[in-house]
Amino acid sequence: MFRIEYRTQRLSLRFFMVMLVLFFFQTALGLLLSAQHLDPTLLAGTLNFNVIRTQHLNLAIFWILCGFIGTILFVGPLLSKRELAAPWMIKFLFYALLAVVAWNLATQLLAQQGIAGWWMGQPMFQEGLEYLEAGRIADVVILIGFAILCYVVLRTFPPLKQWNEIHWGLGLGVLALTLVWVFGMFFVERLDLQEYFRWYVVHYWVEGVWEVIHISLVGFLLVLLFKADVKSVGYAVFWGISLVWLSGLIGNAHHYFWIGTPEFWQFWGSLFSALEPLPLIFCFWHIYLDAHQDSKPIPNMPAFAFLLGSVVLEQVGAGILGFTMTFALTNVWSHGTWVTASHAHLALFGTFGMLGLAAAYYAVPIMRGVTNFDQRPGKLAFWLVFTGMLGLGFAFAIGGTIQVFVYRTLGLDWFGGDVGPAMLFTKAMVPLFGLVFAAGVYLIVYDLITLGLREPSAAGDAVQVPALSGWSRHLTGWETGIWLLGMWVFGALITLGLLSFNLATVQEGSALIPYVMGGVGYPGLLLVTLFFVRRFLSSLEARGHAKVVPLVSAAAPAGAT
Amino acid sequence: MSCKPGELCYEGVKRRRALAVLGLMALIFVALSAVSFLDSRGQAVPSAVDYVDVDAVAGKRVFQAYNCMGCHTIVGNGAYFGPDLTKLYDHAGPAWLAAFLPSAGSWPTNGAVKLQLQDKAVAAEAGADTIEAYLEKYPAAAERVARRGGQTSHMPNLPLSRQEVQQLIAFLKYTSAMNTEGWPPVPKVDGLTFPQATPIPATVQKAALAPAETTAVAPVSATEHGAELAEENGCTACHAPTKEKLVGPGWGGLYGSTVTLADGSSVVADDAYLTEKILKPDAQVVEGYEAGVMPSFAELLDAEQIANVVAYIRSLGEN
Repeated sequence: MFRIEYRTQRLSLRFFMVMLVLFFFQTALGLLLSAQHLDPTLLAGTLNFNVIRTQHLNLAIFWILCGFIGTILFVGPLLSKRELAAPWMIKFLFYALLAVVAWNLATQLLAQQGIAGWWMGQPMFQEGLEYLEAGRIADVVILIGFAILCYVVLRTFPPLKQWNEIHWGLGLGVLALTLVWVFGMFFVERLDLQEYFRWYVVHYWVEGVWEVIHISLVGFLLVLLFKADVKSVGYAVFWGISLVWLSGLIGNAHHYFWIGTPEFWQFWGSLFSALEPLPLIFCFWHIYLDAHQDSKPIPNMPAFAFLLGSVVLEQVGAGILGFTMTFALTNVWSHGTWVTASHAHLALFGTFGMLGLAAAYYAVPIMRGVTNFDQRPGKLAFWLVFTGMLGLGFAFAIGGTIQVFVYRTLGLDWFGGDVGPAMLFTKAMVPLFGLVFAAGVYLIVYDLITLGLREPSAAGDAVQVPALSGWSRHLTGWETGIWLLGMWVFGALITLGLLSFNLATVQEGSALIPYVMGGVGYPGLLLVTLFFVRRFLSSLEARGHAKVVPLVSAAAPAGAT
Repeated sequence: MSCKPGELCYEGVKRRRALAVLGLMALIFVALSAVSFLDSRGQAVPSAVDYVDVDAVAGKRVFQAYNCMGCHTIVGNGAYFGPDLTKLYDHAGPAWLAAFLPSAGSWPTNGAVKLQLQDKAVAAEAGADTIEAYLEKYPAAAERVARRGGQTSHMPNLPLSRQEVQQLIAFLKYTSAMNTEGWPPVPKVDGLTFPQATPIPATVQKAALAPAETTAVAPVSATEHGAELAEENGCTACHAPTKEKLVGPGWGGLYGSTVTLADGSSVVADDAYLTEKILKPDAQVVEGYEAGVMPSFAELLDAEQIANVVAYIRSLGEN
């Protein structure tokens, strides 16, 4: 299927290209932030840390949204069996998006002068709230953009009676995306109430809306990649979305432990957000099932690698690392430290970022009409960003564990004199893994932007199908279960490590127990993740490349059961 | 997990059931939320918290305008580049904050905090008149002055006006008054007795060298004494010995130069002008600077000490 079926699908290409550019800049700013952590005087007064961090967060949101929009525009006509409604609106959406990104880039700099642009009680230029830093002017434009997306998606979809679960997921997803955004559009005097509503946007976006869009899109990409049955995937999508919303609605309470809201939230938050990994396990299991419904070769390995990465990092970053700090008794320690940054990086980039990249790797070759593209840069780039991100998660988690001990247990609050030096080694690891990650990003961006435009590489013919043994042998459901169990065992160890900060011996100043448990738990979890993905991909590689070696694989069907 | 192709899935029924359970959960959530913000709970609200004569709502606007959350955390949310600010007012007190915020690039010295206590309103808010009583009441301020005083901090100088500083302090007073359900946890040990509290090597060196120098030089010239006074009283937090502008103008080459004032007139920076600036900083405001940022040293330094500081500034100007 190396051609597009509907002309308007091509509109997704520009969103994928902008996604790549923003992703590149976001990564560069992340590297700069890690350098500022090592040398806080770097660019201080010129480009302060808070301004760069704001861009790092906002660009992350922007490029993930670009990935979503691109993917939705690409699959929308396929789901609806007709062209997209109102293509001119999509073009307008595109330019509005570029304008908002540029506007936000400029206005955030005003924070250095303390200019928020107060007008009628609202900050027009920038409002200095984490993740919602955009000022009111940008907020309104973004709201209009979401409304356009809703209109296009709902007008393109067939009548309600013909909707399958994927239509429902995407339809509800884009509507909720718009609705939830409104809660971040007003200035709130009380800090507790402001934080309460801020998490409506942040939590319900990632755990309500984005997750739903993610499940729906993963489901449909599996249909496209594996010709899986829409009905069976649809069922997984239905249960996935139900579980996400049933656990995530009250699960938001895990953000209401310490912001000035009553103690009872600790009970509700601990209970319901402990259920939040369930839909992720479900999703994890489904990608295994769909990838193994037959033994046909995977035509587009980079796309599948990023899709697998998305589901696995969702399990590890959002599911397991989220679970470790979701209980009031562990969260009281992890809250406000680098421990949470480890979860945030793996979950946000892993789950949502990798989905956009998977979709781009699937869609861009089709739209550029490339039948046989060199998949090696894509695969190498996947390993670079995947390893880099796991490494970043490791550095943040270990740094965070040290930070909890020095900052919370010992009560030392001099970041320049006590806390910073104690974390120095892990602070140095961040740019190190960041460079690995950035190399991967550069490769992805170069590969996808020039795909089909640069000189075709002939080296693709030399790819050898590995033998069906060792890492490449058939991956059974049992073995997958064991890998998953391994991840959760290390996750449990991390949870107990955080819990151990409550022990009297730790509170008396001995860091031994949490350091040992974190020191085993985090690398254990991340290495199991790394090796599992290697195992999964190797077993699929062994099926051969349908496009690359059509005759050989036809003569010797690899991996036929 | 799926119904086989061709079978009836009863999708409509299942969707409705899922929505019903979701609705029930939404009801629970809304009920819990409504109870959370009742007045009867007694949670602090910013409109009811005043500091001197500004309220905490104005402070929250300043807090957001400078994107403080982009480096610090508040109730644990934000960035992890600097420390959490929720309970800072309780720990370090208003005088320390008033000394720190206008020149955040360097840590306040004993003298700088003492100077803030000269302000009756600040002293009343702090509940301490003397620096000794203040440092006893706010141990975190004592620890900060003793360990960090005079050193450069990792925070950039921000163009905060005097009013914005007061508003920020009001906001931090409000967050300190909030009931955050026991977060952050209170340490059970004195962290300063642990090896993690060892000052960074450069600081140790500096601290070890400093007393040796002062004992070696017995008679101190006016210029040297002025330099010491400038450091002790926190002048150097805002004024660099070079031409560089930190918060106020740099002292390098200042003496004898012509200064343009805000009203357009100009004046030569001589002894009389500089003495006047130290005593009544807002009498002649220099172009490009705001009134009210620099405090008056009238109650802290006597005539001879001011003369020494002026002598020090003169020595920096002779080039």
